[in-house]
Amino acid sequence: MSGSEQLTALLQNNSVAIVSMALWIFGILWMMPGRKVTPSRGVIPGLVLTLTGVAGLLLSFNAVYADVSEEVMFWAFSIIALVCATLMITARNPVYAALFFALATLSTCGLFMLQNAPFLAAATVIVYAGAVIVTFLFVIMLAQQSGAAGYDQTAGRAAPTVLASFVLLGTVSVLVSMAPPEISTVPPVDDSLRLAGAATAGEDAAGTAPGGGASMRIAPVDELLAQEAAAAAAAEANKPEPVVNLLSRATVSHPVGSMKGLGRSLFGDYLFAVELAGTILLIACIGAIAIAPRREEGAL
Amino acid sequence: MEVSPMLDAADGLVRIPAEDLRTLVVGAALFAIGAIGFLTRRNLILLILCGELMLHGVSLSLVTFGKLQNNNEGQAFTIFLLTIAACEAGLALALVLALYRSARSLDVRLWTELREADVALAPIDAPAAVAASSYGEIPKLTPAGAEPAELPRRNKPRK
Repeated sequence: MSGSEQLTALLQNNSVAIVSMALWIFGILWMMPGRKVTPSRGVIPGLVLTLTGVAGLLLSFNAVYADVSEEVMFWAFSIIALVCATLMITARNPVYAALFFALATLSTCGLFMLQNAPFLAAATVIVYAGAVIVTFLFVIMLAQQSGAAGYDQTAGRAAPTVLASFVLLGTVSVLVSMAPPEISTVPPVDDSLRLAGAATAGEDAAGTAPGGGASMRIAPVDELLAQEAAAAAAAEANKPEPVVNLLSRATVSHPVGSMKGLGRSLFGDYLFAVELAGTILLIACIGAIAIAPRREEGAL
Repeated sequence: MEVSPMLDAADGLVRIPAEDLRTLVVGAALFAIGAIGFLTRRNLILLILCGELMLHGVSLSLVTFGKLQNNNEGQAFTIFLLTIAACEAGLALALVLALYRSARSLDVRLWTELREADVALAPIDAPAAVAASSYGEIPKLTPAGAEPAELPRRNKPRK
């Protein structure tokens, strides 16, 4: 099949998605402030176009969750997230932009929840609640002093930017849908290996750690290395396994996103990175204090 | 734990399940929308928010990839992303404060010294007139007492 035939087939197979994205583009361009200060053209037509576009884009995947409640939650969260994101980047008042950003963040957390990440959803809500409040303070402190500012009523060249971004979105979507099997679904590892290791460890530790059940105990490093070697041997016997971080893999008893599994991944495989992240937070804190203006220098 | 059904394409290769593909596209769309906002809008605070929106899209993709791989690494990575995003937001807000102190404006076009030499300077509009308040004439308190004397500054601004 030649390149042009492939392109034609691609366009025909994804016609619903392409038309939806075009509607969405027109919605964004309708609501986006122009290059000169002009009165708003009204949000309703742009909002309708955006809603139709987002719904059509999601419909074009022709997929449903097995659970009806999950399906309803997916639609609610993704539509709220994408429509609020669109309203946020087109808002003429930064206060509204911050509000829509908060809504988009909450909906993204709902999507995290649907993707087996409850801890991450809670953490994101907590972190961004503070972030949004601080942003509000900044907006009220800095932007609202002079009333409606000219730079909020105008935007740069919207059409080429929107076009480029949607070309990026379409390309990413097509590439992801044609993803090779390597990044496709991998079944959870059977935890017979880990259970066997934990059981022997439990027998060893039974005298020294009374009350500590085998399942509650964090295995020491040499044991984990032995497990890893055993897993590597088993994998070599069956088929090549690309994943090397054994602690991060979900097992049947601890599926993806469980607190224990996530903790083992963070404080097992990524312990050094966790320490580094703490250091980076400290450095950023110092930097922010150094950059922020001081009152003695005539600031604010 | 059950494995979600896979979508078999015409070529017989195992593809990403369509429900997860949908979520990946939502993540990509959040990224694209954030990019549009970052490239077109002119308010510094809005630029920070658009950057955070792009990070949300990336987080959603990472979480979905982790779920597909039955691996906690995607979520661990997202936690690190959250950490870096917090650092970035703190530093960016401090920078915004410093820039506002110099220019008394949040317009990003005031800071175009680092542009390419052959690119024309972006037009900077005159400071917009204060919009008329929709509340009409707001009553003001009658001035009373003496004008406060200006206190001498303790420190001279550093050169």
